[in-house]
Amino acid sequence: MFLVNDLITLLAANLILTQALGTSTIFIAAGSRKNLVGTAFVITVFTFIGSVFTFLADKLLPEKYSDFRLLIYVVSIGILYVILLSALYFISRNNFENSRKYIHLSVFNCAVMGTLLTISGRASKNSAITDYISAGFEAGIGFIVAALILTAAYRKLNSSKVPAAFRGFPAMIIYLGIISMAVYSLI
Amino acid sequence: MTKTARKERHIWLDTMITLVALELMSYFYYGMRAVVLGGVCISVSLITEMICLRFMNRRFTADDLTCTSDALIIALMMPATMDYGIAGIACIFAVVAAKNVFGGRRNIIFSPAAAAYIFMLTSWEKKLLLYPQPHVQTGIFDEPETLVNSASYVYNTTGKMEYTDFELLMGNFSGPAGSVSILLLIISAAMLIFRRDISAGAFTGTIIGTAFLSYIVPASPTAEIGYTFATNMVLFAAVYIISDRRVAPKRGYFAFFYGLFIAVFSYVIVITTGKENAIVIVSVLFTPIALGIKNLEKKIELADAEVSEEKTAAAEADSIAAENDFSEEKTEDTSNE
Amino acid sequence: MNKRRSSVFDGILGDNIVLSSLMVISPVIICGDTFRNAAALIYAFSAITFLSVLISSFVPKKLSYTVKVIMYAVISSLVYIPVKWAAQEFFPGAVERIGIYFPLLAVNSLIIFRSEAELYKLPKGTMILKLIFYILGFDAVMLITGFVRELFAYGTINGRIVDITTPVSGLAQPFGGFIFLGLFCGLYRWIRSVVISKKDEIRSDADVSGK
Repeated sequence: MFLVNDLITLLAANLILTQALGTSTIFIAAGSRKNLVGTAFVITVFTFIGSVFTFLADKLLPEKYSDFRLLIYVVSIGILYVILLSALYFISRNNFENSRKYIHLSVFNCAVMGTLLTISGRASKNSAITDYISAGFEAGIGFIVAALILTAAYRKLNSSKVPAAFRGFPAMIIYLGIISMAVYSLI
Repeated sequence: MTKTARKERHIWLDTMITLVALELMSYFYYGMRAVVLGGVCISVSLITEMICLRFMNRRFTADDLTCTSDALIIALMMPATMDYGIAGIACIFAVVAAKNVFGGRRNIIFSPAAAAYIFMLTSWEKKLLLYPQPHVQTGIFDEPETLVNSASYVYNTTGKMEYTDFELLMGNFSGPAGSVSILLLIISAAMLIFRRDISAGAFTGTIIGTAFLSYIVPASPTAEIGYTFATNMVLFAAVYIISDRRVAPKRGYFAFFYGLFIAVFSYVIVITTGKENAIVIVSVLFTPIALGIKNLEKKIELADAEVSEEKTAAAEADSIAAENDFSEEKTEDTSNE
Repeated sequence: MNKRRSSVFDGILGDNIVLSSLMVISPVIICGDTFRNAAALIYAFSAITFLSVLISSFVPKKLSYTVKVIMYAVISSLVYIPVKWAAQEFFPGAVERIGIYFPLLAVNSLIIFRSEAELYKLPKGTMILKLIFYILGFDAVMLITGFVRELFAYGTINGRIVDITTPVSGLAQPFGGFIFLGLFCGLYRWIRSVVISKKDEIRSDADVSGK
């Protein structure tokens, strides 16, 4: 029973279904299983580690400089971007060419930046670093769940039976909309 | 006419017969208003379907009449006093956004009726979830005077059932126009399963899941299993939405688990949050799972076809080899002679 | 000459960044529920994107892709600050209403990726013209979305009550945004295909007459 409730909470907190964050990225990711796994993994890493930077920025930045928060997030994600690319290069030079596209695709998109901004917006003064990290991780998992939802229907939404005007992206948006509507009606 | 097309038409006809019976029952309880509501839904759906097909450069055929059964399902899930405008918008939504955008009846993803119901729930919740009392008839163009909460709402929030078993069986309690006639729904389910018009696996899964959970985790100390089926449109959704062959997985055991999980999820939601008619919402949320299972079924079918092809090829090769051996033996015999 | 002109104007109909490339769709889905929100988003997007792309075009092309992308993001997040101050002055309450989607506009795909892949390869004048039409394309979609969703969801136009008998409140919700944008996108594609096929017909007629 708790599992069912947790699953519903996870759906209700899903940033794609409820806030449309990272929708464009998910359409690209759902195209193939390999893309899905790669992008979802990198986005989870970005949101997970990025949430630590968010925590530090929120705690250390004085309120009068709050307009610079976005700049700090961008610089943090930029540093993370370079670190991830370098790490990938040194760990596996053979896979670097094939795998770096997931990092390029995931950086500075709405899924990552939107998650950091949402975590910061929802956090209170007493929020601990664990709250930030768990929110970041949850967002990554939410992305994976939404991508799986889309992958299941991918073939049908791109089928030749779908009218040409709606085939692909428009059908995908409407499909996500109806799922989002069901989630909304549960909340 | 192909076998599939003939089957599709038979399914539609059988479903329509059962739905019309439910519509008659709602006429008995709520008067002409319920029938007009059904008529509005059917007309709007039919016209919208024709327009959509015209845009898709397809001809309207008898198979496209399935939109009318979806329309009648939508009408039966609403209160008999529902605003005609809302009913019309819901039907347009079902035909356009939940069906034809994805390719129409040849490529169904969601149950159009379930999607339309949730659409109404999110936009006009109060109008959708307040019902007239049975035998209180409202004029065709009149505004309803007194509306009450449904028996499901009272049961979900208090755990009490104010109606006798006979009233429950006959549908003599406040609720959606046609989805409360339990006896008629049982007969409809039996007929549709017997005629193979609905997925027996999905239906059985839903019923067993609901019965099992309501037995081990009852909503209240006085709750009975029968109440769970009579309320929250469980039986109606089990017959016309979850077991819809267009949406449910093909294989019996996959369909069974699909129905079972929908039942479990919706039951937990009902007893933890008191959400009315949660089964319809959960059935839409489970669409990706149904699609995933269908993808798996296709892969299994392909693998089976490959195995049988290999077997046929091996058998052919064996028979050719046997023939060759026989002819070689024969040649040897002749040369020996 | 003709070819150049059509490619510059593509940003509105031929290659609309929202309806064709599905860029910057989150603000359209979530915040495009009223005309006022749409106007504020149009201001924010237009100002941030135009200034950021223009300034970023001076970033040396020799730098590596990663460094350039980071620099574009940093420039746009710096541009965001004065744009936000101006928004607080000219659109009171808009920054709060739009919420996180205001800063998110600063890291939109047009600034970070499309500019590098397409715009910076063009001569400066053409780039500016093309950028303006991309921005106008977004503005048009945002205006139509805000207008239609407000009209049918709340029964108002720019806050003034209009006689709508059955408002569809769900249209103002995120899922309403998803469904509306999907339908709008399909309609856009259909119109585009009709326009293109008509152009082809005219062209083929011209070929025949030419013969």
